[in-house]
Amino acid sequence: MRSLSILLLVLASIASGVAMAAESKIEISSPADGAKLDSMAQNKLVYNVTLGPGGDHLHVYVDGNEAGLLREMKGSFTMETLAPGNHELCLKIVNKNHTPIGVEKCVKVKAE
Amino acid sequence: MSLDSQNLAYAITQIAHNFGAVTVVGGAAVALVWREAAVQRKLAWMVLAGWLIQAVSGATFGAISYYFYAKFPDIHSIALVALKVKIVCAALGFFLAAWQLKAQPSEVLRRYVWMALCGLGVLALSSAAILRWFS
Repeated sequence: MRSLSILLLVLASIASGVAMAAESKIEISSPADGAKLDSMAQNKLVYNVTLGPGGDHLHVYVDGNEAGLLREMKGSFTMETLAPGNHELCLKIVNKNHTPIGVEKCVKVKAE
Repeated sequence: MSLDSQNLAYAITQIAHNFGAVTVVGGAAVALVWREAAVQRKLAWMVLAGWLIQAVSGATFGAISYYFYAKFPDIHSIALVALKVKIVCAALGFFLAAWQLKAQPSEVLRRYVWMALCGLGVLALSSAAILRWFS
């Protein structure tokens, strides 16, 4: 009877773990896609991320070049000033070995 | 393949990589203290194997990433420099250990080689820390 209770407890723990494993998701709340930014200012990228299975942290990219590494799942990243023109800002979820797991979010902005 | 098998692959590779690191630094450090030629020869074989394990397991980290995600780790700037330093250390370490076994240099020269091997090990381990926490 006691063994059965332990078994049920273990199974319940596994089941709850599976149920709690959320899907990977990235939200960039600012800047919005297509936004116009001040090229003289240090603009902020505001994000909210759910890592999901396999994810460990985030890489930030400006025009395809890595600009930073983020370990907080919600917050903001201050970018270097952007040269006037069109730019692409991206966040990618990567694993512990810094490998992108295929979940990313990008916004296009124009610095003026 | 599940996430567990991916983590298992990384973990097994990490175990090999860690023991390789212990061997290259520990083996060279012991050789600096224990100067008996026969012992140093055994240590040279150990260190040679250690550097080989470092190189193979290091490459395996990249291979695992590629196998599971069809991408290599995304590293830049300082982390990329650290990786290159590690690769150079492994190549030099392997070469020096192999040369020592083949050439059988004098005790004085052998001591310099062990110092170099020890330094390469410390440099590689320090670079590994940078590679781990930067990208």
